[in-house]
Amino acid sequence: MLNKELRKRIVEIVTVAKEGHIPSSFSIVDIIDHLYGNVLKFNPQDPAWPERDIFVLSKGHGCAGLYVVLEKYGLLSREQLDTYSQNGSILGGHPDRSKVPFVEASTGSLGHGFPFAAGIALGRKIKKSPANVVALLGDGECHEGTIWEAAHVAANRKLNNLTAVVDWNESGMQLCPVDDMPAKWASFGWDVEVFDGHDKKALTAACCRIGAGDKPLALIARNIKGKGVPLVEGHGRWHHRIPNQEEFNELMEVLS
Amino acid sequence: MKPLREQFAETMLDIGQSDERLTVVVGDISHGIMQPFAKACEGRYFNIGICEPAMVSMCAGLASQGLVPVIHTIAPFLIERSYEQIKLDFGYQKLAGNFISVGGAFDYAQLGCSHHCYTDVSLLCHIENSQVFCPGSAEEFDALFNATYDSGHINYFRLTENPHGVTLQGAVTPGKIVCVQEGSDISLIAVGPQLRHVVEAAGQLRENYGISAEVLYVHTIKPFDAGAVADSVMKTKRAIVVEELSAQDGVFNLVLKAWDCRDKAVIRQLAISQFIHEYGSYEHLCKVSGLDTESVVTLAKEMTAHGKD
Repeated sequence: MLNKELRKRIVEIVTVAKEGHIPSSFSIVDIIDHLYGNVLKFNPQDPAWPERDIFVLSKGHGCAGLYVVLEKYGLLSREQLDTYSQNGSILGGHPDRSKVPFVEASTGSLGHGFPFAAGIALGRKIKKSPANVVALLGDGECHEGTIWEAAHVAANRKLNNLTAVVDWNESGMQLCPVDDMPAKWASFGWDVEVFDGHDKKALTAACCRIGAGDKPLALIARNIKGKGVPLVEGHGRWHHRIPNQEEFNELMEVLS
Repeated sequence: MKPLREQFAETMLDIGQSDERLTVVVGDISHGIMQPFAKACEGRYFNIGICEPAMVSMCAGLASQGLVPVIHTIAPFLIERSYEQIKLDFGYQKLAGNFISVGGAFDYAQLGCSHHCYTDVSLLCHIENSQVFCPGSAEEFDALFNATYDSGHINYFRLTENPHGVTLQGAVTPGKIVCVQEGSDISLIAVGPQLRHVVEAAGQLRENYGISAEVLYVHTIKPFDAGAVADSVMKTKRAIVVEELSAQDGVFNLVLKAWDCRDKAVIRQLAISQFIHEYGSYEHLCKVSGLDTESVVTLAKEMTAHGKD
């Protein structure tokens, strides 16, 4: 699925703002697009619609990937997105639920969004709401202990309305190469599925499992950081780098 | 005297039966006494386990869904270990909840430094939209919680294991200092359970040394009743703050701000100035850290030995 238009928009806003994480956003943008386009229930006219599904971007530094999707589905205007990370904007380098409609959690400090999402899922159970809660977290973020605290609680509380989509692009494995992500989630009592997070067919099949089981669900996405443009793919200096004019031209040309 | 923790369980039961949003989450403490609430308010009580930071984040998630979370465990784990979760998931996200600790200061006197907590009150004061309470009796907790639990704030209640035992006249109101007794020579400002030592000290000062002490009682640290402090110090020009909080911060600083250098006055502090590597009773640790009746009397005598000018 290489969603070139969304990737181009990411490059545009990051370059103008001189802020953003392009490879992290490229890694997850196909998944977020599929979730908003095909999976999540929401009301574009009412961000607080009580029956909506909830999406939490726990790896908040990939928010450019979320913002461009919100724009695509009319949940954010082009004018709003054009102000990204500029003076007076509601859109910063990490998402802020107190400012941005349809953003459900303020994240940025890794290891917060997923436990917060687990709390939302528990709250939905208390209120007997059938809605689903989907959190997207990074594999590096899974170094944080709070991820596993929440995973442990979610399994024991049988939060089958909670899905963790793990962006397994091997960022975490740069430091800790012994990292069997599927086995870890399975050992915590979660249903687990591994899939190609850039392949539409695989993504569609995996997301069909959301809310369908009797356990919380971990969808482990075999992703490539920076997927879509060889210049920024993989790990290294592009993590938080802003393109210069020449690099911007190359990125846009490859995505054309 | 009724233990504050017992009152906590009763207050949750009372409110929980009429307010279906109240949801209690504990970190594997007080599980036994919470059973009446668990039975009466089925599905709104969770003994979540020993995972305090995630517990705090999860309760922020509950708050985002319109529930009123009550989060309860031991102070150093609830506040110091989980401070970033309180700051970000409640504070920055503008969500409301109620944090109820036990084991503040050195209440777990026999368990050592790992279970002590001197900075909790100060840390919570730094969070925007927070209110901070140190009730010294079961009745005070019940009144303060009922008045504030659904106020849209981040409320922190530090429950002492050592109620002060002083009968207060009139109702306890959030944010209002109680003048326990009037005096003219020195203001003794007691925080939470230290009211007992301060009242004892005031009695000894009067009977043995002819010193007239005014006793102010602080159960609410934030919002702070600056006016009551300023009025008292204006009269006495001397004050001692007695608090089971870190000497680096706490009510002493609030008193200095309240006074605001408006006249010449001497204001001193009895507080916790270092880690307490001691074991034994609460009273023993009070003595070790200079938070006992004798220390108050000694300092008050010294401060009143000279004229006010």
